[in-house]
Amino acid sequence: MGAHGKKAAPAGPTRRKVLVTALAAGAGVAGARILGLRNLDASDALSSAVDAMDMSMATGMADAMDDYDAMFGVPDDSFFGAQDLDPSVLPQPKPATLPPVSIRPALALEPPISGIAAPKLAGNVDWISPLAKESAKVTHLLRRAAFGATDAELDRALSEGFARTVDRLIESPLVEPPVFPAPAAPRPSASPGVSPRASASASAKPSPTAAPSMGAVAPSASPSAPAVMTNTTSINIGNLQSWWLDWMTKSPTPFAERMTLFWHGHFTSDYRKVGTNSPAIYWQNLTWRRMALGDLKSMLQRVTPDLAMLRYLDLAASTGRAPNENYARELLELFTMGVGSYTEDDVKAAAKALAGWRLPTRTESTAQTGIFDPRRAYAGAVTFLGKTGTFNTESVIDTVLANDATAPFIVRDLVTSFVTPIPSDAYIARLADRFRRTRYDTKTLMRDIFTSPEFVAPETFRSLIKSPTDFMVSAAKALGATNLSGTIRQYGSTLGQNMFDPPSVAGWGDGASWISSNTMLQRANFVTAALGTLRTAPSAARAHERHLDSVLAQGTVNELNLARDDKSRWFAVFASPEFQLK
Amino acid sequence: MGATELSRLSRRDFLKNGLVFGAGAAGLSAGYAAVPDVFARAVYGGKRDGVMNDRVLVMIQLAGGADGLQTVIPLQDPKLRDLRPQLSRAAETALPLTPQFGLDRTMRGIKTLYDEGKVAIVHGVGYPNPNYSHFDSIRIWETGDPLRRQQDGWLGKTIAANYDSAGHPLVGCACGSSEIPGALRDLDATLSVINGQNTFRFNGSDAERAMGVIYNGTPGIYGALFDTSVFSARDTMARLRLAREKYTPRAAYNDNVNLVYSSRNQLASALQLAAQLIISGVGAKILHVTLGGFDTHDQQMARHDSLMGYVDGAISAFHADLAAYGMSDRVLIATWSEFGRRAAETANGGTDHGAAAPMFLIGDTVKGGFYGEAPSLSALDRGGSLKYTVDFRQVYQEILESHLQVDAQEVLGKAFERIPAVRTA
Repeated sequence: MGAHGKKAAPAGPTRRKVLVTALAAGAGVAGARILGLRNLDASDALSSAVDAMDMSMATGMADAMDDYDAMFGVPDDSFFGAQDLDPSVLPQPKPATLPPVSIRPALALEPPISGIAAPKLAGNVDWISPLAKESAKVTHLLRRAAFGATDAELDRALSEGFARTVDRLIESPLVEPPVFPAPAAPRPSASPGVSPRASASASAKPSPTAAPSMGAVAPSASPSAPAVMTNTTSINIGNLQSWWLDWMTKSPTPFAERMTLFWHGHFTSDYRKVGTNSPAIYWQNLTWRRMALGDLKSMLQRVTPDLAMLRYLDLAASTGRAPNENYARELLELFTMGVGSYTEDDVKAAAKALAGWRLPTRTESTAQTGIFDPRRAYAGAVTFLGKTGTFNTESVIDTVLANDATAPFIVRDLVTSFVTPIPSDAYIARLADRFRRTRYDTKTLMRDIFTSPEFVAPETFRSLIKSPTDFMVSAAKALGATNLSGTIRQYGSTLGQNMFDPPSVAGWGDGASWISSNTMLQRANFVTAALGTLRTAPSAARAHERHLDSVLAQGTVNELNLARDDKSRWFAVFASPEFQLK
Repeated sequence: MGATELSRLSRRDFLKNGLVFGAGAAGLSAGYAAVPDVFARAVYGGKRDGVMNDRVLVMIQLAGGADGLQTVIPLQDPKLRDLRPQLSRAAETALPLTPQFGLDRTMRGIKTLYDEGKVAIVHGVGYPNPNYSHFDSIRIWETGDPLRRQQDGWLGKTIAANYDSAGHPLVGCACGSSEIPGALRDLDATLSVINGQNTFRFNGSDAERAMGVIYNGTPGIYGALFDTSVFSARDTMARLRLAREKYTPRAAYNDNVNLVYSSRNQLASALQLAAQLIISGVGAKILHVTLGGFDTHDQQMARHDSLMGYVDGAISAFHADLAAYGMSDRVLIATWSEFGRRAAETANGGTDHGAAAPMFLIGDTVKGGFYGEAPSLSALDRGGSLKYTVDFRQVYQEILESHLQVDAQEVLGKAFERIPAVRTA
């Protein structure tokens, strides 16, 4: 600090406009600096941005934007940080332990709010993107690909820089989560109502997670010798949810966890229908994680007979004689091609062609996928996506992958999750083309996404809303808190995102659908609960720099400066709109 | 600008024009402590004269595609047995309403209400060219547009066009949900989403104040959404405090139901919350609750039974509660689902996605009985589903024009032939 405003604002029209407004409103004493705010006024950009928002709020996805670049027709304002401030404009002195947040908002300050008054809406003011700076690119990447960062992760990534961090996130060999423990073998006399099947199979293979156990295990892990997990072993879903959430906050390969969550929302299943009398939903999680960056064909071939999926979308109940359309329909509609690129007849044909899978029987208790029984399959020819012949699961998948709709559909899902809610068609087409030419290699696609100019374009800054899990895990990581999985699980339910329990086969919504009066209230309550678990909070003095890029709204600045201690300041950081965004 | 003009500015105006909110804010904050009774004063200043009444609408979404043929069961059509060798057994235990039709055996409470003349059943509700995707069809029902060109929900549009929801967030409320259902969504409508009445409050002594400071002029494309959501939460909380003082349930709501499986057991408490909002007079006008689990591709007999029994119990308690407070003559309950199910059953005792299905309209203002024509089991569409005989927008039309007494054409785009099932106030 102490530059005395010598790094004066490069006078762009947008900045000047805000400055004038602010001065006219009587805000500035020693010259109101526009910090963390960008004006989108005075161009057609605004109305298109609003139209896009209308669409995205109404449908969850605005896919008709043809001209993304024109939407934010605003020059990239350079970023102002604390160092740019004239100390004479700092707020009133604060306790020495907590240096004041040295950023002033652009607009006139209101008198203290008492009672419940309506907010002043910002209208056409946008965040100033800091993404021209290397350090901001790094934090942006970590927010989107790694559930934010712990202090150590942040320091490491900042020292490595953006390109090397992309490499490390994508190329690091997967570190598997600790084995989710099978419950102890029930003693014969213990509970007569419980079937002893779980321990019946002496020939069962060891649990598929061969990785060494690390970190906490689920709280109910029995101290006695765990039973071997077979496909009839019951699991406790609450423990399983905590197990995964715990690993999200601790995994040394957080990008793998982020991708697993993506696929969990894409190739989704819920424990309510799958049931907990089998580890199927746990095994699905392990499988999705291992295949997360592989090729799409292998993944689809594994998704189809996945034990949880067979139950969830009824493929196990489908036969050639009485085909059940559920899996076939969602394979086309939600997993690969999207509505409009196939017909009802294609659904019926695919249902016939995919029939034949069944669940393992009791004597096959070590099987971890479905079993194909040719007697259940459909014998005749069908016409599927324009081709007539006899199909099996592999040729259905091959036909789907040969369809022009598939690559753009998958790419759009990933881009709207990792880059922007309103991608241009050209961007999707470019990525989709490469995706298809690399034989649907997801790892290459993710590298293409992160290294694309669009990923760090100014308009992507804070263009995505963190899902509840993303929000809570990133808060836990920022605090360095390792015991919050129970709290996260509890609030996941209130906020609308329970692991293994998506609201529908379309997985979770995104974007604006995460924000309502109820969820904003409960996000604040999560922060209160999380901070309440800490005896002492770590210093929050630099939290707004490290976790909010120092790009702050007026309201956040005001509350940060009102905060009397570290916990209050962490509350303001985590409850802020800045932290809800990524 | 005068105060009257300002009060009409909407969220969309703020977004489009970057206008400064705060219009009438002083009035609102002064007024919120003494919320006028909705039934004495109708809903706060309707946007037009002559459109207001004291009616309330409660929409119950049966998500997943609820089967019609195991709900309103044809008792005499031999074709049912051919199509559904297993599921047609429901006819043997049905509760007969007429010689031709009976309710599923679990629907005793609704049967009683039917006998009292308070239940209208509309046969064969659907739309042209049925869409078998859950999500597309839900959107069609939510927006009232089978062509899927509309963005806003029909209930959201109704609120935006008729009720001054700015600063009165409980005019439209999703009860027992954590997100805004598509039917209520409209940028011009301020809405509340209340997951649970006991959890809708800020924990921590300072959180409410801090959130009010923070969410004030948030930049970015989501800024208005954030700010109005937090404002709405704080405002709603103040109103709920009042509501709790005025209400204790006068019927037995029970969510302790052992479903074969379902998404979430919250229907009864969601309806109890709806009753609290209606009875305490905090300005509720259009409420929405959802029960999932109706996507019965297998084991439909037991699953559908358990779900309908749950629905029956929850609706019965809700109606009894309202009646005990003397308010059941103001509230219309309507059920909807994105589609019915295929006429034929699958090998594993379930059904695939279908088309037309009956809708229930329940309340003291309903003219009980059957409406519309039951689709024929002998004349299925090409996909094996029941052909619709009543456009769902005809039912919307009746709800809007006869129950809420607002202009339906403004919401639905055109006029539909009415289904005369509701008495006007």
